[in-house]
Amino acid sequence: MSDAKAAPYASPYLAGVGVGVVLLLAFVLMGRGLGASGAFSSVVAAAVNTAAPAHAAGNAFYSGYLTDGAANPLRDWLVLEIIGVVIGGLASGLLARRIRWTTERGAGITDRRRFVNAFVGGTAMGVGAKLARGCTSGLGLTGGATLSVGSWLFIIAAFVGAYAAAPLLRRAWR
Amino acid sequence: MMGGAPFYEFGRFGEGTSLVIAVLLGIAFGWFLEQGGMGNARKLSGQFYFTDLSVLKLMFSAIVTAMLGLFWLSWAGLLDLSRVYVPETFIAPQIVGGLVFGVGFATGGLCPGTSCVAAATGRKDGLALIAGMLAGVFVFGEAFPAIDRFADSTARGAWTLPQALGLSQGTVVGILVAVALGAFAGAEWLERRAEHPARPMKLAA
Amino acid sequence: MTTDARRRPGIERALAVLAIVGGVLAVIAGSPARPTRGSVDVTELARIVEHEEDHVTAMELARWIRDDRPRLRVLDIRADSEFADFHIPAATRVPLAEIARMPLDSAATYVLYSEGGTHAAQGWFLLRARGMTHVFFLRGGLYEWLEQVMNPRVASTTPRAQRDSIRALTLWFGGKMTVVDSASATTTPSVLDGELSAPHKSDTRETIRKIRRRAC
Repeated sequence: MSDAKAAPYASPYLAGVGVGVVLLLAFVLMGRGLGASGAFSSVVAAAVNTAAPAHAAGNAFYSGYLTDGAANPLRDWLVLEIIGVVIGGLASGLLARRIRWTTERGAGITDRRRFVNAFVGGTAMGVGAKLARGCTSGLGLTGGATLSVGSWLFIIAAFVGAYAAAPLLRRAWR
Repeated sequence: MMGGAPFYEFGRFGEGTSLVIAVLLGIAFGWFLEQGGMGNARKLSGQFYFTDLSVLKLMFSAIVTAMLGLFWLSWAGLLDLSRVYVPETFIAPQIVGGLVFGVGFATGGLCPGTSCVAAATGRKDGLALIAGMLAGVFVFGEAFPAIDRFADSTARGAWTLPQALGLSQGTVVGILVAVALGAFAGAEWLERRAEHPARPMKLAA
Repeated sequence: MTTDARRRPGIERALAVLAIVGGVLAVIAGSPARPTRGSVDVTELARIVEHEEDHVTAMELARWIRDDRPRLRVLDIRADSEFADFHIPAATRVPLAEIARMPLDSAATYVLYSEGGTHAAQGWFLLRARGMTHVFFLRGGLYEWLEQVMNPRVASTTPRAQRDSIRALTLWFGGKMTVVDSASATTTPSVLDGELSAPHKSDTRETIRKIRRRAC
């Protein structure tokens, strides 16, 4: 990699234990775990509610993320947690000199192709996460640690889906 | 009764404080994700080609840490496990959703949480993935009235592995620790093999 | 790519050993919840009754049964024939008089119910007087169970997450949730109208429920 000045990444095990301690703190302090895709849902629900309030109110999915009238749907635990994630990621990247205005991709594809892949992949994850009621954070970490049956089914299914699709995408990363 | 945790559940602080805690926990979460290299889609995608299994190592280290912490805090009477949220099980939607999610994960190279870290460290592909996530949630929201029945099917509530397997919680915890450590050993072996491709060939010959 | 992380073999090995020790001891420990014991006095009883900490709602009891709450004992104190007609799953029939002399498990959680609430409340006092600490009764009796768990009526404006949670619970017990428009939901008492919701109801707890249901 060209970023010669950047500090090497931490051991994944130690970073994982760090995430585990944060997750445990969330359980101890809040009685709930970490999440990510729920914050995206709140943002989409708030946007739909601003653009077409009647449509949002009539849709059971959006209305689940809209609080009763007065309160702002973005005044939400997961939305604030994700704002924190951005701050924490930025702080860590700054200290390790790993901030780069760049695109991570394999040599075999263009930046443009990488953006399309990222967008399409994101869309699939958006649909999948909502169908499953969680993502790698809310189901994977939180449900994994609380031994939820559905979460473990989701983790297994996600790895199966990823390994099934990966051979078709080899060129995008090599 | 049981000890003081979870503190919010026992009314030790209000909603305002809980939101401050959300930001602080988020900062620590983002910090460790970035430290582990999870903001880099190239590094993450190594998981799917057996060249860099950091995703598996980080994820299972985190699960094992929090799982052991929950078990022993509860055992010591410091935390009431019945008040800790267990994500509810919906068998069919979670399997199908997981498969779709996995395909998206391999295509996009980041997951929802790590895309935020990627974007925060200037990765443009992270921004594209966030835009895709928002689009996907919108697609799901619009389609929801049509797939509502499937999305709500095979509900099993807060169903846990100890209940499903008929084992004590401690036994399940022990099994998962063993599985995780076995997976770590396997991951190290796969990474060594990816780095020195000559070795397994010699073994094969 | 595998060499771009600074590995710490010593610390990693120590953590692995710690995980092994924690895991092996967990298998030996078995259950994380240890039974709690306590003494009872009359003032304490009066306080509990006054603070309405003596009963459960049907929805709470349904969750306990579904979630397999450790050492839950559901006692039906109605007549034998009524019990044969219909009873709450997991319940055992115990005549009120029997409660005064039956063997007890101090670590168990006892929930009593009758047709209405009166007999169950009397049974509650008997069990408390015998030194049991985790004793509750179903305030609305079997009526509440049938209305709230087996045939809940939920307003269409109810947040989806809340609806999901109720539907999942109802389906588990083989009941049927009906979604009604908000106008008729307000005329028919519903679990969501607050009348029969959690006994320790406070704004904080409602907020917690709402945000916790959205795991991710």
